[in-house]
Amino acid sequence: MTNEMKEIREKGAEYFFLLCSLVSIGAVLLICYFIFSGAYPALRDIGVWAFLTGDLWKPTDVPPSFGIFNMIAGSVYVTAGACIFGVPVGVFAAVYMAKYCPRSIYPVASQLVSLLAGIPSIIYGFFGMMLIVPFIQEYFAGNGNSVLAASIVLGVMILPTVIKVSEVSIRAVPKSYFEGALALGATKEQSIFFVGIPAAKSGILAGVILGIGRAIGETMAVVMVAGNSNILPDSIFKSVRTLTANIVLEMGYAAGSHYDAIVATGAVLFVFILILNIILNIINRGAQTSGGLS
Amino acid sequence: MKKVLLSVLAVAAVAAGGAFFTGCGGKGDGGERKREITVISREESSGTRGAFDELMHITDGKTNQLYPGAVIVSSTDEAASKVEVDKFAIGYTSLGSITDKVKALTIDGVVPSEANVKNGSYKIARPFVLAERGNANLPIADDFMVFVTSKQGQEIVDKAGYITVDANADYAAPAGLSGKLTLAGSTSVERVIERLKEAYEVLNPGVKVEINYNGSSAGIRDCVNGRSDLAMSSRELKAEEKEQLKSATFALDGIAVVVNQVNTISGISAETVTKIFKGEVRYWADVQ
Repeated sequence: MTNEMKEIREKGAEYFFLLCSLVSIGAVLLICYFIFSGAYPALRDIGVWAFLTGDLWKPTDVPPSFGIFNMIAGSVYVTAGACIFGVPVGVFAAVYMAKYCPRSIYPVASQLVSLLAGIPSIIYGFFGMMLIVPFIQEYFAGNGNSVLAASIVLGVMILPTVIKVSEVSIRAVPKSYFEGALALGATKEQSIFFVGIPAAKSGILAGVILGIGRAIGETMAVVMVAGNSNILPDSIFKSVRTLTANIVLEMGYAAGSHYDAIVATGAVLFVFILILNIILNIINRGAQTSGGLS
Repeated sequence: MKKVLLSVLAVAAVAAGGAFFTGCGGKGDGGERKREITVISREESSGTRGAFDELMHITDGKTNQLYPGAVIVSSTDEAASKVEVDKFAIGYTSLGSITDKVKALTIDGVVPSEANVKNGSYKIARPFVLAERGNANLPIADDFMVFVTSKQGQEIVDKAGYITVDANADYAAPAGLSGKLTLAGSTSVERVIERLKEAYEVLNPGVKVEINYNGSSAGIRDCVNGRSDLAMSSRELKAEEKEQLKSATFALDGIAVVVNQVNTISGISAETVTKIFKGEVRYWADVQ
């Protein structure tokens, strides 16, 4: 093989890889374009402020009302609820996996956590609908389809993300930090919670934010347990509709301005995810520049 | 900073745990609470809901007055599952898909059954309608309309689990019919119209039927604009639509009001159903 041919092959491979990466970049740009150009007519007709702060969603009334305030609040509620359930459990589980777990158990535990990530969301929804919803109805208030049910289901769903990312970042803390703490007379627990976790905090935060991203974007599981009433819930036992639920419930049939309003709902969700990604970037950059203990 | 965050999380965890246990304790000594009815409805744009809301006067055609706290589900099956697990639930599903896991209520004393829908005594029913432009002059579309209301067509409707209309004459395929027929409209009719299409294509080998499911209203609009030959609707045509289209009802579908198996009620009045779905009656104790 001549040098020339080699060079051509090298170049060919290079362009092929470039093409592959362009496909994913192109997909992102196309989605952005589709969502925002689709949302524009609705936002122009309804008005951005009226759309975001309106609390009436009555697409089939004459004249129709399109306001998604209750759903924005709903998404924020269930995501916050998921964090209250999922983050403490996830972080402490990560501490166990990284620092306490015996070697014989670790592979099993690690596999099971991965399995938790692989369960399809409709299975989580079914589990919530058949177990958690009736349980809440039986022992608490309301009919069970509630902020609480959605929070519990989402809390479990974000566990694998929080555990995996937190575990990696706790493991990445140099051993000398713990040894130093122990040498100064700290117990093992003290060395983990006052040296290890602070040192790993940016990684843990990144895990939490990835978890939030998953929770806010989750659809099927939430639709099945949240009740989807278009109200502003005044207790955790009240039904709630999230942005994603609004889209999936009505997308199939919607036409005209109703359809545009649903695409605009998607745009709002997209902006939420963009903001989360920006926060994640800032955290990662902070971790790179400061590094280690802060 | 970390400490603050940790302590907030700890407090939240303790509070959640506390609420859990007091909740459990409260049940035992509080006795039977006055239970609210769980109203289960479908999403705003569902064809079944559109028909139900109109028949039960939950909408006046302009403003929908469904109880805002109603639980909204995205399919007939999901509505049935919710009623199955919730002792205090009331919902509605297509009569064809009722199972013995839920209890269908009699309405004003009338049992929801195929026979009662057909003779008109059970009121919560909707027609499946095919419609065509009055001046269209499409031989295939005309012939398909004849087919669905013929004896052969109605046999297929019956087999698909829907309620037949009075059948016209035997259908005989006209010789040499060929071309394309386009249908658009209701998603609810899919189960029956697909079977009708298959049978029709066998009888008329020259004809290719294309179906687009985009909802009753969109289908009717497409037909009026000439984008499709026939419209499929799972609700009665509105007055202004009837002026532009000629239509034929080819099947009926009852909507059953269902409650949980343990519910002691077996019958209800139409008026009470309306009040429950509007949120005017909130407790089973208030339903006689």
